Amino acid sequence: MNPMPAFRFVLRAALQNILRNRGIAFASVLTVTLTLLGAGAAVAVVSALDGVLHQEESQASVLKVFMADHISFASVLNLQHTLGAEPAVIHATFENKNQAAAQASSSLGLSSALHILETTGGGNPLPASINLHLRNIKAVSQINNQVSTSSLLFPGPHQTDYNKNVIPRLERYIFAAQLGGAILVAVVGAVALVIITISVRTAAFVRRQEIEIMKLVGATDWFVRWPFVIEGVIVGVASALLASAVLIGVGFAFGSGGALALGIGTRFAALVVLGLVVGGAVLGSFGSVVGVRRSLAT
Amino acid sequence: MSISTSPAPNRTETAPTGVGQPVRHEPPIIVFEKVSKTYPNGVMAVQDVSFTVRPRDFVFVVGPSGAGKSTVIRLLIREETADKGHVLVEGQDLARIRHRHLPRLRRKMGIVFQDFKLLPTLTVAQNVAFAIQVTDPGRSHLKEKVGEALYIVGLEDKLNNFPNELSGGEQQRVAIARALVHRPRIFLADEPTGNLDPDAGWGIVQLLLQINHRGATVVMATHNREVVDLSKRRVLAMEAGRLVRDEQEGHYLREGDANL
Repeated sequence: MNPMPAFRFVLRAALQNILRNRGIAFASVLTVTLTLLGAGAAVAVVSALDGVLHQEESQASVLKVFMADHISFASVLNLQHTLGAEPAVIHATFENKNQAAAQASSSLGLSSALHILETTGGGNPLPASINLHLRNIKAVSQINNQVSTSSLLFPGPHQTDYNKNVIPRLERYIFAAQLGGAILVAVVGAVALVIITISVRTAAFVRRQEIEIMKLVGATDWFVRWPFVIEGVIVGVASALLASAVLIGVGFAFGSGGALALGIGTRFAALVVLGLVVGGAVLGSFGSVVGVRRSLAT
Repeated sequence: MSISTSPAPNRTETAPTGVGQPVRHEPPIIVFEKVSKTYPNGVMAVQDVSFTVRPRDFVFVVGPSGAGKSTVIRLLIREETADKGHVLVEGQDLARIRHRHLPRLRRKMGIVFQDFKLLPTLTVAQNVAFAIQVTDPGRSHLKEKVGEALYIVGLEDKLNNFPNELSGGEQQRVAIARALVHRPRIFLADEPTGNLDPDAGWGIVQLLLQINHRGATVVMATHNREVVDLSKRRVLAMEAGRLVRDEQEGHYLREGDANL
């Protein structure tokens, strides 16, 4: 069979299908658009949430190892070098007492308290630290256990800023967000699939006489199926483009204070559009194959 | 009554052996071997039916409604499969044909039905071309092949008419033209005169005889007594799913039952 005339015939048949059943096709596009919009929005929100959580995670992946006041600078450098060589550590930086005070003043608003302590002769109570930037949040616990035996550490219960409750909680939130997003996308995808299947089944029912004749004169199942598959792909892709337009429009409406601020940048938006279009095409073709199956059974 | 079609235009086709010149050395093109078929609702449509059809034969399958005539046709196009026995077409056991190879089988056959099965939104020419477009879209000389098929059935002047602008007989001729474009070796007709007045019905039978004369094997299921008796061709008579009579140059009814 010559592919080009076959493709032309199949494409024309698919477009005729859509035109003949334009009411059903239009309703399908609208419904699938709404479901894909739900999927796209879910992906965007989950991704934004994921971004926020990962930002928290990256901050939590910095472990401050507080140094005792009396130790020599050479010992600190030696410990920094040793810790920096650990595979889980990206890099280790030294933060002296003055830098710690400056950091506390700027980020924690402790400048007046530190000023009172210094002026009353109490000095700077904040310890120097080696700040370890770790590759993975899961490594924090391991490194913390490793360094806690060192004699160079600040005495007392707070030798590091490791809080064992924060990290598991963060991990749970990230997992819940990803799982929730995946379930939502799967449900929405299943709904879109059912809608496209029903739409194609209706189109196949309308064209049942044509299908019967095609089979009687010796058309192959795939030749009968292709117009419906293309119809499904057109419905899926049109719905995906509409849903993408709405999502991008909403993104613009929010502007820099909205979606973009949550980490939904241009690249991510392009990925969502691409995902929706590919997803729409896959759902459309799969739904069509399922939808037309009954008509090909005899 | 006379056939209204024009003479055959295609001089390049296989020379017909014609009726009355049976070639008995050739293997049968159709074989029914102890075939039984019961539908899911319990109706036993065909029971232990055996017969063979030689190439270029013209066979009427006759009998009252429910006798099993249409089931024989449906078994031949593999719309149904036999529960017992074997149906062979050109030596191929239809029960063993894979579903994906059915199109190849059906392209060897021309099939027409009582209800014509024309697409109302297509013109006469488009309906005939449809059979080629859905099986071999790149086939060259599409217009010539369509024109030739319509010439054979005598509708070359109705190319651009829609089915609802034609009489029943003309619609059946379009269906025959559509079945002819693949130049089938076997032509199956299930009650092709059922919806037609006697004149139009006889015209269709004459056309099928002409197709047979051109070399195709024709199997026609009918309960039209007149056309069977006038044609004087082989008759397979069925009753309640059983083959009760197989006669060369037979009649619709058994001799002696003619007044029934």
